[in-house]
Amino acid sequence: MKLFLGLAIGMAFGAILQLGGASSYKKIMGSLLLKDMDIIKLILMAIAVGTVGIYALDLVDMANLSIKPTYIVGIVIAGLIFGVGFAVAGYCPGTCVVASAEGKTDAMVTVLGGLAGAFIYALVYPAIRGLISVTNYGEVTIPSALGVSGLWIAIPFSAILFVLMFKVLKDRY
Amino acid sequence: MQDEPVISWKVAGALLGLLLILATALVKPIGVSTQYVVTDGIILHSAAPNIAESNEYLSKYGEKDDWSIGYGWMLVIGMFVGGTISAVATKHFRTRSNPSMPSMWSTQFGNSSPRRMMHAFIGGVLLLFGARLAGGCTSGHMISGISQLTIGSFLFGISIFASGIITARILYRKRLAS
Repeated sequence: MKLFLGLAIGMAFGAILQLGGASSYKKIMGSLLLKDMDIIKLILMAIAVGTVGIYALDLVDMANLSIKPTYIVGIVIAGLIFGVGFAVAGYCPGTCVVASAEGKTDAMVTVLGGLAGAFIYALVYPAIRGLISVTNYGEVTIPSALGVSGLWIAIPFSAILFVLMFKVLKDRY
Repeated sequence: MQDEPVISWKVAGALLGLLLILATALVKPIGVSTQYVVTDGIILHSAAPNIAESNEYLSKYGEKDDWSIGYGWMLVIGMFVGGTISAVATKHFRTRSNPSMPSMWSTQFGNSSPRRMMHAFIGGVLLLFGARLAGGCTSGHMISGISQLTIGSFLFGISIFASGIITARILYRKRLAS
């Protein structure tokens, strides 16, 4: 049952990314070159809707939250490496799967590169695990740090994202 | 246009947000990059079980799922299936004249498929190395993580766009100058 549920949610996820153009090299690079804001706005819209829904669910204890630990040094280094890969490949770890489904062979190679990258990480993990323990503040969120209910942050945060999407971010061709 | 999205960012983003809420209610928030480790584990465990089991990082993910597929792995397979169906249904399947080559890439770097493949592979290596160090990627860390207002996910999101924007500007400097 869990396996079928995974397949169903994944199918919807893949179809939404494909239909929304998130598996397109041109759309992704357009965002990174700050010319075509569609993909950035797509992500912000998903977060703006998701954050309010998740913390509304949490209010009635129905959200299966999964908070990742915050280790500042390791996460910033990881993000900087990831960003280079993002721009060089023109895909991310999920969109390269969807782009592969569209028959794009470069995206299939990115999936293979990803398998290699994850394997390299597994090999060097014992040597660099210190990056995960240093400056590690654990599973901390803005509401948990402030000691307030999630919706108090989620609703104004979502409102800020709507202003960003509709008033601030503009295509620049 | 072959690469124009079928639905707008507003609709796609809102649907993605609703799907994230549904997934969080039913199972857990959406994530992808862990499954690259799971896949590596499955492959290595079938080829050389001793090496796989002795690797601390692979065995952390392998043991949990008994070195076999689970919910998260099926989700990634679902992405491929769902992406194929929607691409075929909307005539976005195999629309490139050269399947390895985004036309935008060739205007900057030329028509060499091996060169494009090298970029695609190295990019993939960096993506997953970074994602595993962070503990998630665009979906699990950025979309799911920021939606849960996780402080580290905000840091990750800012870092990937800062680095991605700088790298893109260096790669496409000729195009930007003209």
